[in-house]
Amino acid sequence: MGAPGPRPDPSVPVSDEILSLDLFGNPEDAESDLPEVWTVSRLNRAVRGLLEGGLPPLWVSGEVSGWHRARSGHRYFTLKDDQAQVRAVMFRSDAQSLPTDPDDGMSVRVFGTLTLYEGRGEYQIVVRRLEAAGEEGLWRLAFERLRRKLDSEGLLAAERKRALPRFPAAVGVVTSATGAALGDVITVIGRRAPWTRVIVRNTRVQGEGAALEVASAVHALGRSGLVDILIVGRGGGSMEDLWAFNEEPVARAIAACPVPVVSAVGHEMDVTIADLVADSRAPTPSAAAEMVVQEGRALLEAIRRLPARMSRALTAAARARRAKLAETRSRLARDMERVLSPRRQSVDRGMERMERAIRNGLSEHRGRLSAGAGKLEALSPLATLRRGYAVPLDGQRRVLRSVRDFRPADTFRLRVVDGIVVGSVLEAHPQEGEEE
Amino acid sequence: MTARSTKGDEGQAVPGLEERLRRLDEIVSALEADGVELQRALELFEEGIAHVRYAEETLARAELRVEELLNLDDGSVGTRPLDPDEG
Repeated sequence: MGAPGPRPDPSVPVSDEILSLDLFGNPEDAESDLPEVWTVSRLNRAVRGLLEGGLPPLWVSGEVSGWHRARSGHRYFTLKDDQAQVRAVMFRSDAQSLPTDPDDGMSVRVFGTLTLYEGRGEYQIVVRRLEAAGEEGLWRLAFERLRRKLDSEGLLAAERKRALPRFPAAVGVVTSATGAALGDVITVIGRRAPWTRVIVRNTRVQGEGAALEVASAVHALGRSGLVDILIVGRGGGSMEDLWAFNEEPVARAIAACPVPVVSAVGHEMDVTIADLVADSRAPTPSAAAEMVVQEGRALLEAIRRLPARMSRALTAAARARRAKLAETRSRLARDMERVLSPRRQSVDRGMERMERAIRNGLSEHRGRLSAGAGKLEALSPLATLRRGYAVPLDGQRRVLRSVRDFRPADTFRLRVVDGIVVGSVLEAHPQEGEEE
Repeated sequence: MTARSTKGDEGQAVPGLEERLRRLDEIVSALEADGVELQRALELFEEGIAHVRYAEETLARAELRVEELLNLDDGSVGTRPLDPDEG
């Protein structure tokens, strides 16, 4: 490719045609007999005029090749299909609307006019718009590129997401002061949490330079020390309108914001880069406001229920203390019982043993006693008296045992089995052989 | 985490609604936990009631304040009331 090949210089027949039409011809030359000789410059100028005037602006589809971004900001590339190619240029002012540069080999369609670069005799398309084929094309590509980049830096990680304060004293809002988004946010916060302070940083949210403005507003309000949380967003719009929220400066400002950020970009797109970087995302500014402040009435009711709840808890704490005291006491009693009962048992056993011993001892004694009583009975003088013996006693109830105890005329008493007999001594004779 | 006073200026750090409500949460769960000591429970109760009072007063405010963040000449920032009709 690239060689002119079989195609003869196309300018020849064209210029013939033009000459015959006499559009560019010099009247003087026409009068001359000599064959006219053109300068290259003139030729190219003529061809350029032809190209620019001969074809209306048109769409051309092809594959991007050799994309080059010059220092001037212009983009140069070749558009080709499997058999042909054409040079293309996109000037800086038009290229600024590109969300990103296309990849080589990407299928695109371009809209532009034809012209000839006279210095090289090359014709080219001056591209005014470039769209990648497929859904969302270049936008999607730009989105994916930035997403991958931020992701590789860890800025999209779930661990980075901060919890939102539940009851912010002040809410910052970065949006356009003239947009519907601000009114929506103020309405919702005013209805749900009118004690909140709302601080707005006005910024353009679409058009050239909007991304930088949004980023600097996030930076200023986030670092002002005045707000606890930030809502960044705008109402719905086309993808191009929302594009600022897919640009790197906004993403980085949100990631660096010292207070949590809720993104709230209208719902035309599934998700924006701002949504991915923010700590929370809401589908609309109103939804963001609802996410950020609690419903005041419910909160107030909940708070008013607290004193009763706390005093119940207090009562319970007092009751628990009493119960604990009682429990301690009963546990103490149980412990004592546990310690004492073995001893008590042994005491009991000892007592029983003692009782038994005493009882045994007693009966033994009692046996011995009755045996003794029998003997005693046998020794009793009454039995002897019953057998007919009698016992003499003197006045002092002393037993008179010997004849020497009896003096003549002495009185004595005789104890017989059933009474006393009083008598007096007539004579007393010692028994023979019993003297000495 | 920036604990916020209602004024936004430095000085005495009066706990804001957020902090007080969080503290109230703690107090209620501490009170309702098993085995809270009676003396401690009394202290918690008193503190809780103070927070409830503050919260009630705060939440009773009916007028939303909307301000605009401005860049001041000395490089710092300030605010001014934002008239909703202006925009």
